[in-house]
Amino acid sequence: MAAVSDVGEVSVSRHQRRWEGFGFLAPLLLFALIVFDVPLLIVVFWSFSDPDTGFPSLGTYAAFVESGSYARIIWRTFLIASEVTIATALIGYPLAYWISRLEQRSQLIAIGLVTMTFWVSILVRTYAWIVMLGNGGILNRWLQSLGIVSRPVEFLYNEGGVAVGMINVLLPFLVLPLYAAMRRVDPRLIHVAETLGASRLQIFWRVFFPLTAAALGASMVLVLILSLGFYITPAILGGGRVPLIANMMDLLINKFARWEMAAVNSVILLVVTLAFYGLYQRLREKAA
Amino acid sequence: MSAATHVSRRQPLWLTSLGLATLLFMCLPVMIVVPMSFSSAQSLEFPPPGLSLRWYAAFFGNEVWAQAGVNSLLLATLASTIALVLGTLAAYGLVRGAFPGKALIEANFMAPMIVPSIITAVALFIVFAKLRILGTFFGLVLGHTILVIPYVVLIMQVAIRAFDVRIEHVAATLGASRMLILCRIVLPNLLPSAAAAWIFAFVISFDEVVVTLFLAGTNMTVPKRMFNELIMQINPTITAVATLLIGFNILALVLILALSRRGTHLGRGIV
Repeated sequence: MAAVSDVGEVSVSRHQRRWEGFGFLAPLLLFALIVFDVPLLIVVFWSFSDPDTGFPSLGTYAAFVESGSYARIIWRTFLIASEVTIATALIGYPLAYWISRLEQRSQLIAIGLVTMTFWVSILVRTYAWIVMLGNGGILNRWLQSLGIVSRPVEFLYNEGGVAVGMINVLLPFLVLPLYAAMRRVDPRLIHVAETLGASRLQIFWRVFFPLTAAALGASMVLVLILSLGFYITPAILGGGRVPLIANMMDLLINKFARWEMAAVNSVILLVVTLAFYGLYQRLREKAA
Repeated sequence: MSAATHVSRRQPLWLTSLGLATLLFMCLPVMIVVPMSFSSAQSLEFPPPGLSLRWYAAFFGNEVWAQAGVNSLLLATLASTIALVLGTLAAYGLVRGAFPGKALIEANFMAPMIVPSIITAVALFIVFAKLRILGTFFGLVLGHTILVIPYVVLIMQVAIRAFDVRIEHVAATLGASRMLILCRIVLPNLLPSAAAAWIFAFVISFDEVVVTLFLAGTNMTVPKRMFNELIMQINPTITAVATLLIGFNILALVLILALSRRGTHLGRGIV
């Protein structure tokens, strides 16, 4: 008998230990299920059901493919996002490199400034471009008062304007992690290369850049993920003329009430985002 | 020592110019918007012809803006407080607990930060419409809470992980329950981190636009009104609103940095 009760006790305590601490996260788990997981599942479910009958159907996906305009907007979103990502990397990497080689005090100031811009809301940072480059903005007023142009130049409300705004908003997402990665590079490796007679160019391309390439890749994927889902900046700086996938989803929900088509677009954006996120995690592990 | 000499070595001129230019490009929005908000001119003249507080007066004297401000403060307070309670409990369970599927649950809590907010907005729009809470303040609080949860869980996990687990073991040996340990021993020591997490969540909620646009209905928040206004026209009052938001966010950042210095180890990489 004693042996049996012993076994019972051991299994109970092992069971308790197996679920130890679960009670602490149960409330949040329930909350996340109701306010996040189930809604997302419903969207996936909606995308695969007939809008009239509610039965399972691939009709909306067929309509998506047939119309062609949705695929065009998604492709265009991908192109703009890629351009923005490459441009952000091309100016962000040199900035991070430059900051990482300043003296300690200047480094603190520069990183403080980058962090500050990161903290100012996207809406405010986007709005500032209207003040500067809008049709009634500062630059156009200058150009007109100097008599260089007679009518306002349309700097914004096109893809270029949207791209400038997006690059401005996204730069800190690339610069901050890259700077951290550059600081982790062991200076002794550079010294060894110097001692062995490598030129500065060789040291950079053969030693420093390979050591920071994974971090650069990870931050670029992060910027790409963020720009694929961008809504605010294209809505404001695109003036309705540069629809990206997120703005199209807004129209489908709030204007055309085509929820099932919005659901299809959500599922596609979700799958693409999660795929890139998987890549991001792998690159980040490599960078660490 | 030799590392320092390497780091401070002179950099090529082109790199310095490129670095400075990019830094200027990043700071330009703040550098322009703040002085413009104190302009006395009716239109956007730069540099401002004179200084005045008329746009601030226009903001504070406007009932719609005032109501939006009250709504935003209330919304951010509720969302960040609920998130702090749920998120701290969950972070404690994640750090000290042991159960199957822990990594998956943790990923689930982080997901609202990774999934584009437009998708969350569409999903909540559809579900809230079915539940008939679309356009209610309650629905807005739910939406904001789920968006800020990941940040609270992240910050509190770092803080709890840095707390010496042996102190908890001692309390457990003396017969304290898990809940008692959390409330009487862990949390009092992690107050600075909890405050930082709360401020962080507050700012994210206060600045949120996308989910708000979909769920708010007729409820007005400061970013929503700003978004609506500036889609239509340039109104200098917005420069005052933008400057207030910049000041508010920078104040929050300074507070978080001060708290993280006081807190045991808030960890780097949060700001």
